[in-house]
Amino acid sequence: MLEIRSITKRFGGLTALQDVAFTVGRGELVALVGPNGAGKSTLFNIIAGAFPPTRGQIVFNGRDVTGLSSHDLARLGVARTFQQTTLFGEQTALENVLHGLHRHVPARVVAGLLATPAYGKEQREVARRALGVLELLGIAAYRDTVAADLPLGIQKLLTVAVALATEPVLLLLDEPAAGLSRDEATRMMNLVASEIRQRCTVVLVEHNMRIVAGWCDRALVLHFGQKIYDGAPEGLTRDQGVVDAYLGVAELA
Amino acid sequence: MDVYLHLIGQGLAIGLLTGILYVLIALGLTLIYGILHIVNFAHGEIYMLGAMGVFYCYVVFKLPFAATLVVILLLSLLLGLGVERAFFRPLRGQWLQLVVASVGLSLIIQSLGWIAFGIQEKNVPSFFTGVVAFGGVRLPTQRLIAAAVGVVLVGLLYALVYRTKVGLAMRAIEEDEETARMLGIDADRVAALACAVGFALAALAGAFVAPIYSLNPGMGLEAILMSFLIIIVGGLGSITGTVLAGLLVGVLQSVGGVLLGAEAAYGLVFIVMIVVLVVRPAGLLGKA
Amino acid sequence: MKRGLLGLLIAALVLLPPLGKPYVLHVVIVILINVVYAQALYVIMRMGYLSFGHAGYIALGGYTSALLVTKLAITPWIGFLAGGVVAGIFAWALGAVTLKLRGIYFSLSVFAFAEVVNAAFRAFEVFGGPAGIAGVPRPALLGTRLNTHLQFYYVVLAVALVSLFFLYRLQWTRFGFTLLALRTRETERLAESLGINAARYKTLAFVVSCFFCGLMGAVHVHYLRFVSPFVFTFFLSNDLMIYVMVGGLGSYWGPMLGTVLLTGLGEQLFAAGYYKSLVYAVVLLVVILALPGGLISLPRILRRGGARERVLPVAADVTAARER
Repeated sequence: MLEIRSITKRFGGLTALQDVAFTVGRGELVALVGPNGAGKSTLFNIIAGAFPPTRGQIVFNGRDVTGLSSHDLARLGVARTFQQTTLFGEQTALENVLHGLHRHVPARVVAGLLATPAYGKEQREVARRALGVLELLGIAAYRDTVAADLPLGIQKLLTVAVALATEPVLLLLDEPAAGLSRDEATRMMNLVASEIRQRCTVVLVEHNMRIVAGWCDRALVLHFGQKIYDGAPEGLTRDQGVVDAYLGVAELA
Repeated sequence: MDVYLHLIGQGLAIGLLTGILYVLIALGLTLIYGILHIVNFAHGEIYMLGAMGVFYCYVVFKLPFAATLVVILLLSLLLGLGVERAFFRPLRGQWLQLVVASVGLSLIIQSLGWIAFGIQEKNVPSFFTGVVAFGGVRLPTQRLIAAAVGVVLVGLLYALVYRTKVGLAMRAIEEDEETARMLGIDADRVAALACAVGFALAALAGAFVAPIYSLNPGMGLEAILMSFLIIIVGGLGSITGTVLAGLLVGVLQSVGGVLLGAEAAYGLVFIVMIVVLVVRPAGLLGKA
Repeated sequence: MKRGLLGLLIAALVLLPPLGKPYVLHVVIVILINVVYAQALYVIMRMGYLSFGHAGYIALGGYTSALLVTKLAITPWIGFLAGGVVAGIFAWALGAVTLKLRGIYFSLSVFAFAEVVNAAFRAFEVFGGPAGIAGVPRPALLGTRLNTHLQFYYVVLAVALVSLFFLYRLQWTRFGFTLLALRTRETERLAESLGINAARYKTLAFVVSCFFCGLMGAVHVHYLRFVSPFVFTFFLSNDLMIYVMVGGLGSYWGPMLGTVLLTGLGEQLFAAGYYKSLVYAVVLLVVILALPGGLISLPRILRRGGARERVLPVAADVTAARER
């Protein structure tokens, strides 16, 4: 469903990604693993349309989507969260999710200006849908709390709710469990592996081997912008290249 | 035909000489933008105050020329420090409020100016007389010296930014403020210094144009307009870009003014800005 | 309660003027015109964008109508509309280029645009040069030219009420709600990732804002019966921005409050010349530094003892659902 064809990305003289290629099948839950600076976020940004690759191709649902803008990709069904928890901080949880529903709500400017009964009914229907998404992630109780005032664990769940509200085909989660306590991380990953993956294909960036091994179908390891492993999470610790890459980092740190 | 060529040559030379003074004003804006991420609308008024300072110190109180410059320099530095402390620091990080505050400041200085200096236009006699001829192009000594001082000041600014510790701190903050703070750089002090230097550059530019134009408290508007066009064309935050764009805009305005008239020259500069925004949104030398 | 007050206010605006003196009527007309300008500017300030050049679009609207009516003898009613449309077209052209970029590029470009427009009006004979265009007639209704203050007052009132209704409702629509998502660079990035075409929304908002400025600008010129490059200047752009900031960005009623108070005050200070700008600017700085939410936030702050409050209005249509 998602096919990455030998993507290269250079920033100035720096090569962030070098001929990275892989495919993701429908319904998979894939983890993108690698030390800091390995190019995971760059790859995410390219897939989500934040910037184009220097070379290479991205094929989504059989269509070449290389270089499309991020709002075009969102409309095709690619949703994402950001590494730094990003929300509409001044608005309530429910309003955040309502923005997520954007592409499913017709604008109807004239009806809105006149506040026709049909328009009001439609908007209430939309709000009910938004509430449904909050309920799915178990955070409906916070619907009227301003996002900036929520605890981090709830904020993280809310970012996923906002992305999920677009009803994506492919969901990209950038370190969904980072900064969470062990229990919170477990709750998040249980949701991802059950409710969420029933609805869409998921690719996530993750450092934590407990999470990769515990919940994901497949692991892709990037190291200095190159793919060095693609396979079952169980094989990670037996792969010499991966072990070296991680040991190298451990020694440096 | 010959007459036209001559006019264009003259316009080109005058444009470069004017451009370097624009550069001084625009560089202050760029410097402050790099640190505080705002454009300071009050900058044109500082330029006006510099010019008025010359009128009052040099013409009314008959101070020597050098003393006049020292007074203006000190006052503008102090004003820069004061404004940063009173308005910019409390509003750090809120760009909308910051820009609006600088507009408020600009209005206050300008209206106080009208009240204090009156609506009568003021003229300052030339500091230097005479004309220098290069081939067919004749340039007043006054303008040449003003431009020479401008070049020296631009050089000093380069030295400050690229050769001193403070300059290193400035560039570090511009690059990544959070990291710079973690490394122990006092961002507030650097911001205050940037404001002081920026204000001084604008005031000195004003001081050197004083004998060239008639002075009134509203003269900052044209200067700030040109400076905005310059920093957009040059790339916000880029020093070299600002210098190049300042010279370019000076020449465009001057040659355009000769060929098409002053108002049309504005339009020409504006069209150049739009073209730059379409083709290279980050400006000639800005980072994408 | 709120509705009752609003109804009372509108009834007063419709019924009382025949009793008012011409000077009072003039002040009310000026306030109504400024309220529409400020409310139109609020459309883009609400999404976190600053314009220092709205006077340019007001002038475009005014000149368009003045030229059409004096040169081509078109009826002023059409002139008003044309004023709005022309301002909107120019807004679209500039917005399409600059609203993709950071907010500061937009602010500076709009400022430069307004100055260039002003220079063009001064330079070219077609626009009347520095003297401007005189003898701009008032519109006629049912064969009567609306030449008295009172008659024209009702024209201004009608245009203002329609515009204000539109601008008020707009913020509660889905469109207005989406604009709130674009207030900062981070939220804009998030909005893009949700399928929102940020540049298109912002450009549309700017066009709407300028359409109403152009429309009211045309009405304004027909009220003054002349237009010159010195009527709509940088200072008007500044004043509008000050009205909005002083009133407060947090609610639709903030800019309205700021405009009514400051325009009323300004009319009293009119004879004082430059003291008016000085007073405006001082008020602006005091409010920005001491009362970031503007005057409209004052009652709420007093009630809650300065507790953290929402800066943004709730999108009522959308969240009304939670009551059911």
